[in-house]
Parts: sequence; structure tokens; C-alpha cells
Amino acid sequence: MKNSKILGAVMAEVLLLLVCLVIRPDFFSISYQPTTGMLYGNIIDILNRSSEITIIAMGMTLIIALGGTDLSVGALVAVSGAVALKLLRWDVLEYNTPGDYTVCNFFWVLVLPLVVCTLMGLFNGFLVAKGGMQPIIATLILMVCGRGVAQILTDGKQFTTGYAPFKVIGQGSFLWLPVPIIITVIVVAFMAWFTRRTAFGTFVEAVGINRSASRLSGINAAMIIFIAFAVTGLLSGVSGLIYSSRIMSNDSNNAGLNYEMDAILAVVIGGTSMTGGKFSLAGTVVGSILIRTIVTLVYYFGIVSEATMAFKALIIAVVIVLQSEPVRNYLSKRRAKKS
Amino acid sequence: MNNNILEMKQIEIQFPGVKALDKVDFSLKAGEVHSLLGENGAGKSTLIKCLTGVNKMDAGAIILDGQEIRPQDPGHAMTLGISTVFQEVNLCPNLSVAENIFVGRQPMKYHQINWREINRRAEELLSGFGLKIDVTRPLSYYSTAIQQMVSIARAVDVKAKILILDEPTSSLDTGEVQLLFRVMRELKAEGMGIIFITHFLDQVYEISDRMTILRNGHLVGTYGISELSRVELVTMMIGKDFSQMFELERAEASPDANIALEAEHLGVPGKVEDFSLKIREGELVGFAGLLGSGRTETAEMLFGAVPSSRGSMKLEGHDVKINTPGDALNNRMAFCPEDRKRDGIISDLSIRENIILALQARRGFMKPLTRAEQQELADRYIKLLGIATPDAEKKIGELSGGNQQKVILARWMATQPAILILDEPTRGIDIGAKAEIQKLMLQMCEEGSSVIFISSELDEIIRCSGTVVVMRDRKKVAELAGSECTQQKILEIIAGAA
Repeated sequence: MKNSKILGAVMAEVLLLLVCLVIRPDFFSISYQPTTGMLYGNIIDILNRSSEITIIAMGMTLIIALGGTDLSVGALVAVSGAVALKLLRWDVLEYNTPGDYTVCNFFWVLVLPLVVCTLMGLFNGFLVAKGGMQPIIATLILMVCGRGVAQILTDGKQFTTGYAPFKVIGQGSFLWLPVPIIITVIVVAFMAWFTRRTAFGTFVEAVGINRSASRLSGINAAMIIFIAFAVTGLLSGVSGLIYSSRIMSNDSNNAGLNYEMDAILAVVIGGTSMTGGKFSLAGTVVGSILIRTIVTLVYYFGIVSEATMAFKALIIAVVIVLQSEPVRNYLSKRRAKKS
Repeated sequence: MNNNILEMKQIEIQFPGVKALDKVDFSLKAGEVHSLLGENGAGKSTLIKCLTGVNKMDAGAIILDGQEIRPQDPGHAMTLGISTVFQEVNLCPNLSVAENIFVGRQPMKYHQINWREINRRAEELLSGFGLKIDVTRPLSYYSTAIQQMVSIARAVDVKAKILILDEPTSSLDTGEVQLLFRVMRELKAEGMGIIFITHFLDQVYEISDRMTILRNGHLVGTYGISELSRVELVTMMIGKDFSQMFELERAEASPDANIALEAEHLGVPGKVEDFSLKIREGELVGFAGLLGSGRTETAEMLFGAVPSSRGSMKLEGHDVKINTPGDALNNRMAFCPEDRKRDGIISDLSIRENIILALQARRGFMKPLTRAEQQELADRYIKLLGIATPDAEKKIGELSGGNQQKVILARWMATQPAILILDEPTRGIDIGAKAEIQKLMLQMCEEGSSVIFISSELDEIIRCSGTVVVMRDRKKVAELAGSECTQQKILEIIAGAA
């Protein structure tokens, strides 16, 4: 049952990659660039560029499994970048070029954005778990005002930086791979461990399926919801660091724009139901990669960038319809008839 | 004489696997309050749903004012003159009182809603009920009783011939009930026929003219209010068709056993009044009483689902404060709730996951049971309780009711509870599984656990319990032990005749 859901997403992904291969026979080629010490290729690029969404979607999977959504993740990406760049900013009065410069220890440049985003996640969790608000409304608050906070933190300016260690996060390489891919692998591995090697995942599913019964079984449902939102806040922060390191700047208006939608989509494509319950992190990873593959495909088709969104929507609609309960029932019935 | 405005003849309704109604006759006269009585699952609401077109009958006829009718849905029933007020107020709390009364049939003027007319007529209507309230305020501003009145006003204003009141008083206090009764008497005087469903016997005797008793989908009889004493009525509702399949030893505690739980003056406003209880180790205490008598509420209070706001509780001699089910769990208490579907099973999770849930919750999620441990526990309880399933990975939602109940029992047995509270563990499951569950309870008592057993079936309470607590009107009214526990005695106390 569980596998059949992921199977749909995997098959769609394979199909898209095959289309890419037909258009560009060298699509799968990977080359080594000795100057940067990194591997290059379309596949690497897709994985690299899907990092931000994959990381956020790991948390989003938990929240959706609990029967909620988190709309604030995109805004938290902007907040994370704003905090980091505030600590890294290039002081125009002292330096002529963006240089190796921080206003505090680099450790804090990494940790403070994550702390701020985790606190914002906790705020979401508080509104939902203790305030009894609907998640979509509760997180709407930070979705709207998060970017405002980011603007205030940076006085409405766009700082840039040239600080080399910070550049590593989004543009560096490790073991011939772009660092974002490495970070993603670590995050996914941790989340897989956290949900399946502890009982957290089971509790999330239990609360998502039947909160009342879970509570009467002694599960602290509010605590589970708290943790899920805090983790999602933290992961949005990680994603924000990657994003701002890629552009070596903060962009309160555009950083993480529409990430909440992409993250929700990744989760849904991966076979986790919006009504909560059973979830699949593996499915979410496939979903996130699928979304990125579509964007790549759009470039290769030479579709004008204005139409990108519409094209993306079209493919996603097809994938989701194919995964829907009635269609899957219909298909499995037909299969049963044939055999 | 035949002045019946409504006759239902030989009604039959078949649900998958059960006959919900079997050749039931029912009649209602104009200007009469007719109570419909029976335990849960007796078929009262099915009969009402049949009359309002929610359920389709498989055989039988409904005759309203001499004409045969076939209600298609509640809206259709309403146009035929059958109005229903359901247990939960089914109005819109965010709309004004007046809007609620006239929604869907607002008086119009120049093709626009005539608000002045709506408010004027609403006020007029409610003042007829002795209610002088501001009809422009949102409904949620007012108490449940007034909301109930508003829904009755709405039902009455559509020119109904028959008014069905399904448990309208379960959330009302005494004064509010009297207000409702006054309105009912006025409507009765105007010639309306009222079908009244309630679990409160006092109210039945106060307001009704006749009563019809159902049991397990069968008609037991229709009686005038003076023809039947309370004890006879309760006996008829509960019935005595339980085969004594197994002779069971009652679980009585030895007098020198330690006190496992001692509750003093616990209470939840509006739900449970002043409740005290002592349970010894190895004792099985049965809670008897009609539905709505506060049995379930008391269990929820002891378990911290709805925490007590006063009094004190001791477990094995130590003071404890139980504010959440988590607290109760950590104090080795366990609770199988009444509504298995809503509060018990996690339908999409496997049997294994459902069984380990409470034990895992006590350990905390960072100390997971290994897969092997989970498997071992699941297999052990599947075998011990005889859960019919090919393996532990089947979803609990796919099991039958009796097997689901066994899984919930297993969930709590796995925590090795000192106090086990079972709220209607045998409801809706077949007689074989019932006996198995009764045996299990007694076995747990033998092993030193204390069990609180809540059931609507007096028979099984008497057979298993060492002590019987009788609840009535949200209060503990009696505690019987040993030879005092007879059906007659308990019925008398439930009926309030003793």
C-alpha cells in the first residue's frame, strides 16, 4: 500500500528524466571540474537545486501528517538570510569590495539564524497546540509578518558579503559534491532516524489519524505538534542559510518565495495525505526532486519563462490526479481483472 | 377512537449484518407527548431517521393524517410537517438568533431580505415561548438552553404537525428543563404531536402521556404513563435476554487487601457531582446506571481526560494529581473509552502499533521499543486475547468491533496497569467475544489489578462485580456489595424508587 504511493512519484520522475534524455542525449553526463573540485551535470544540478525544498519538506511532511500545513516556511527562509547577513554585512565605509568580514564570530552567523527560525517555529506550534488555532491560519501570521521582520532586521536594505566560509554552505564542495546536497543528505538521514528509529513518527501518525484516541492513550499530543513545528522552523532556517549563501546576500522580498507551496506539493506528490496520517519521507524526497526536474525540463523545452508556472502546474496536476484514491482504485481494479 | 396523526406500521430496516428495526409499530396522537424509550442501539434514532427520511425503510408504511408518505430527506419531511430538533443544536452559532429562525425562508421585500420583518417576527415568536431576548445577537451569545429553544422555535414556525425532540434536555439544567416543558405543554395544547426521546426517566414521567419501548430493534410495547412503574419500565428497556453462557466468579477483594485507589470528593462542574470511591487491589467495581447518569464522565474524570476540579485522589496511599491522561498513564492507570471508533482505535495504524502505543507513550518517544520487542508484545497479546488476524501488520480499522476492542485492551494490558477502567468494553460485540472479555477482566483482578467496569447491561455487571456503584443524574447514589447486588435492587435505585 505504502509503496504503491511512492511508486507513482518514482515512475513520474523516471518518465520526466526520459523525456529530458530524448531532448538532450547528453542529459545524464557528469563531468569533473578539477579547478573547483566538483562534479558537474544535470542530475547533480537538479539535486543541488532541490536542496532548499527537500530540507523544508522534511519538516512539512510531519506537519501535514499531523493534519496541518505550515505556510510560514518561505518567510522563515527570508528571516534566516536576513539574520545571517546582518551578522556578515559588508561595511561599505571601511571596505571597497565585499570582503572577508563578519561582525561577530562565524559560529553565531550559523547558529543565530537557526535559533530565530526555531523560535518562530515554536511560536507557530504554540498557536496550534495550545491556542487551538487551525495551522493554516496560525502560520499565515508569520507568512505575512515574517518578511516584515526580515525587512526590519536589515533596515530594508539588501546586504551583500564576500565572506569565504559562508560561501561554502551554498557554493562549496565536499566529496566532489555541492555542499547543499551533503547538507540535504544529512538532514534526510537525521529525520529518517528521528521519525523511524524513535517512536516520534508513530506518534505523529497516531495524532494525525486520531488526536482524541492518541491523547487518551497517554500521548502528549500538544508536545508532538510543538516539536513538529519547531523542527520545521529549524529546517527553514537551514534552507535560508543555503539560499542566502548562494546569492551571498539577503533578499527579504524574494528569498524563499513560494517555498511553502513547493514544500507542500513535494509532500503531497510523495504520497502523504493532506488529511494527515501515514507519511513517507522517501516519497517527499522524490516529490521535491520531481518538482525540480520539471523546472529543468521547462528550460530544455525552451518554454518561455512566463509559462514556467503554468507548465509546472500542469504536470503536477497530472501526477496528483494519478495518485488520487479513485484513480488508484480504478487502476488496481483493472489490474485485478487482467490477471 | 382513531385520532392518530401519525402511524408507522410494521417498519423494517435492514443494516448490513443486523436488523435495525424489526416490525415496529408506532403511533402518535394530536396533542400528545409520546416518549420513545430504549437503551443505546435499541433503534430509537433509527426509527426517527426513518420518519425524517434519513434512512430508507425496507418494509412498512408511514401514514400521516390518513395519507401514506415516503419522506425522502429531512427537508422533504419538514415540508410534510415533520420537524426535528436534534440532540446537538444544529443551527449556525455565528448567525443572529433571528437569522437562524428564518434562514432559507427569509421574508422578502422588493427582492431584498426584509430584516426588520425578520427581527420583528422572531421576537414575536420567541416571546410566545416566554423568551425576551435580543434576536439580533449571534446565537452563540446565549446559553445552550436558549439555543435549544431557538431551534424548537424554528421547528415550530415551519407549521409542523409533528415535532421530534431527540434528547433535548441532556445539556440543560433543571430550570431550563422546566422552561422547555412549559413550551412543550403549550404546543401540546395547540394540538401538536410531540415525540420525545430522553434518557431521564423523571422527565418521561413528568411530561409524557404515553411511552413506547424498543429493545434491540424490536417493539417491546406501548403503554400509558400510569400503566407502568419505573422499575417495570427499566426492566423492559434493559431486558433479560442475556444467556448465562459462563458462570463467572465475582471479583471481590479480600478485606485486608491494600486500597489501590481512593478518591475523595472529586467533581467536574456540570458533569460529575461530588464523587468518592475506594477500590481495593484485585477488586472489580461495576458502575451501573442509565446512559447520561455520569458513568462515562466519572471514568473520564478519574483518568484525567476531563480533570477533576476539586477533591483529592490517592493511589496506593500516595497523593496524586491526575490532570491529563498522560499523568494517569504514568500512575499505572488505564482507560478503554466507550466510543471505540472516536477515542480508541487509530484506524490506519497496524495492530502492532496500536498495541504498543500506550506503553510507548509512557516510555516517551526517545526510548523506542525495538521492532523485535514490539513484535513480541503484539504476537503475545494476539495469542492471549485470541485476536482474529493473519498477522500483527493488519490495520486495526479492518478488524471487527470485538477484535478492535481486544486490541485496545491489549494496548492497556501491555502497560500492566494497577487500575483499569473499562467503559462499555462489551458493547456492540458478539456474545462469545463478550464472555471472553469478561473472563479477561476477572483474570486481571486475580493478578492484582483493580478494575472499574462500566456497562449498560446490568446482568454482566452483577455477574462480575464485587462492588456495584450506582449512578443517577451525575451522582453516585449507592454502593452495593456482595449479596446486596441484585438486579431488582439496582433497578430500583436506578429508577429512583428506593
